[in-house]
Amino acid sequence: MNKILLIIRREYLSRVKKKSFIIMTFLTPLIIAGFYGLIIYFSIKGINDKTDTIAVINQNKTLTEKLISNKNITYDYVDKSFESLKKSLTRSKYDYILYIPDFDIETPKGIELIGTKQAGLSLDGKISDSIEDLIRDYKLKKSGISQADLDNLKSKVIIGTKKIGDSGKEENSSAGASTIIAFVAGVMMFMFIMLYGVQVMRGVIEEKTSRIIEIMISSVKPFQLMMGKIIGIAMVGLTQFLLWIILTFSISALTVSVFVSKQDARKMIASSSKISTGKPGAQQIQAAAINDGPLGNVQKSLENLDIGKIITVFIFYFLGGYLFYSALYAAIGSAVDSETETQQFMMPVMMPLLLGYALSLSVVTNDPYGSIAFWLSIIPFTSPIAMVVRLPYGVPGWELVLSMGILIIGFIGTVWFAARIYRVGILMYGKKASFKEMVKWFWYKN
Amino acid sequence: MLSVKNIVKQYANHRALDDVSLEVEKGKIFGLLGPNGAGKTSLIRIITQITAPDSGEVIFNGKKLNSNHINQIGYLPEERGLYKKMEIGEQVLYLSKLKGLNTAEATKRIKFWFEKLDMGSWWNKKVEDLSKGMQQKVQFVATILHNPELIILDEPFSGFDPVNADLIKNEILELNAKGTTFIFSTHRMESVEELCDNIALIDKSKKILDGSVDDIKASYRNNTYRIEYKGEADFSNSKFFDIIEYTEIKEGKSLKFKLKEGNSVNDVLGLMLPEVRINHLEEVIPSMNDIFIERVKK
Repeated sequence: MNKILLIIRREYLSRVKKKSFIIMTFLTPLIIAGFYGLIIYFSIKGINDKTDTIAVINQNKTLTEKLISNKNITYDYVDKSFESLKKSLTRSKYDYILYIPDFDIETPKGIELIGTKQAGLSLDGKISDSIEDLIRDYKLKKSGISQADLDNLKSKVIIGTKKIGDSGKEENSSAGASTIIAFVAGVMMFMFIMLYGVQVMRGVIEEKTSRIIEIMISSVKPFQLMMGKIIGIAMVGLTQFLLWIILTFSISALTVSVFVSKQDARKMIASSSKISTGKPGAQQIQAAAINDGPLGNVQKSLENLDIGKIITVFIFYFLGGYLFYSALYAAIGSAVDSETETQQFMMPVMMPLLLGYALSLSVVTNDPYGSIAFWLSIIPFTSPIAMVVRLPYGVPGWELVLSMGILIIGFIGTVWFAARIYRVGILMYGKKASFKEMVKWFWYKN
Repeated sequence: MLSVKNIVKQYANHRALDDVSLEVEKGKIFGLLGPNGAGKTSLIRIITQITAPDSGEVIFNGKKLNSNHINQIGYLPEERGLYKKMEIGEQVLYLSKLKGLNTAEATKRIKFWFEKLDMGSWWNKKVEDLSKGMQQKVQFVATILHNPELIILDEPFSGFDPVNADLIKNEILELNAKGTTFIFSTHRMESVEELCDNIALIDKSKKILDGSVDDIKASYRNNTYRIEYKGEADFSNSKFFDIIEYTEIKEGKSLKFKLKEGNSVNDVLGLMLPEVRINHLEEVIPSMNDIFIERVKK
């Protein structure tokens, strides 16, 4: 036992002390936070951070109601001719001239927007929306609806999706928020298992090619060496994961406080810390959610998701899935003499993981309670990814327990299976390993 | 101290060891010889408990070999390596802790040995910065650091320059004088003659010869002598001996001959003394190399 601890310690320290680990660990949250800061910056300030002043020349006799200025656009009704204003535009305080000719209210046309620079799509859209509103209001009033009723009509609709939780309590939820979390968790799980599983394989190959293996196993049992390596690297993964969470949280908080006023910041931090970590893909979704969606609602839901539970379950499935796969990776590493030979063995190990990944992010996010989602999250080959993807949508307790139990049995199985191949493989040199050969090794007596 | 009894080890389609038995006496240097693929490494792996025999047993100090013995055995494999990215001192420390030493004691001993073998400044160096010979010194230190009773060295001198080979050889002899038993697996017969007390020769999975080096060599004496003399004479049809080899050398002539049945070297001298001046006479004892080749070829 003491020897396993020594091995774990070496495997852990030798990796954590590496420059690449330190750089990866500290740089990734910085990049994420930087990215995040940009998104927040733009979503708060808006793409147009300056106000456009627009001179409106209204020659329309029916459309007498004025356009209302807002944060980004100031409408200034002027009483000049279009032509004279056009000539003096560059010297005037106006950015654009909006020309509304006297058109028939049923077929509005001939409206022009002229500026010193090309008007952007969003400005264009905002102005045409405003004019459409004016026309609609005019028509409605004509058909006898009072101004008071009109004001009443304008209401912003936000659907507050809720679900009844296990406890029977209503919880705020949002499909958007759940999907964000699900994607981030799924991508991270896949990446972690791959990354650290391959590290185990590399470590085994390194010991084999550097020929230290024989010195090692005259001191320790092959099983101890294999488990020491697997556990040591698992701890490296956990360290990185936790550091990422902590760092991303604090750096994001810092970034946010630079860009956003204190009151807004509180909301932002709450959401940023929860969807921190992750890939460009996830970031885009995040960005989309922040830009399009009823942002406030997503944030509220994020605050209502049990982040503690999600992180705990994530760590469990990371460890379980990692143990499950890394044992197989260790067996592959033991069977080959160099990394180039690993290809043919990697495929069958990668396939279920890739399949689980692809299905989880498509089928499962679409239908998190369907039977495919259920089976994917029960079978240990795919459950680590499928389950963390399902989790934000809510998973019945018994399914979680069943899935976890099967995963534990699963990794004990793969560790046992891998250990039997490993103990023979690490001492085999120059022999081209095949699946047939590995089956033979499996049955060797000690 | 170590008895190997009727060991059989079968791999998928070949038998690596077939009923091999041998005795290693305490405080001796034991040579385990044999051509490539004879089964030496398989036997060593059984003694170091890397693998287990299919049948037969190994007795270590009167007890059946078990995991407690791991710390009493030091093993330097032929295929040896180190963690490339690790610092030397840390690495030896790690290996010796795996053999049961505590940090303080291990550190003390590493410093002692590094000093003794001119490696004093190596502690913080990385393995990849060392030459092969230097790495081998590190491995040697790692093998002996936990003061094992039995040290197994597989081709310990390959890769060493003569100076360092001599350095290591002296350390081996010094440890041996203090009572450490050695098993020595090698192809280099000159080092066998220099160091080994006893040997066993394994060929094609079977032990074909064992005993003390002196006895084995004695049993391979076959009344062959070599004489150097000055002067002209023809001994080609002597009734005492058959000529094996005749060469002209700088100081005269050299004659290698085999005595005929019932004659002694004195008879030869009686014949030659009146004719020529004799400079040198020696019995030609076969070297371990000759014995090795002869036995393995059979």
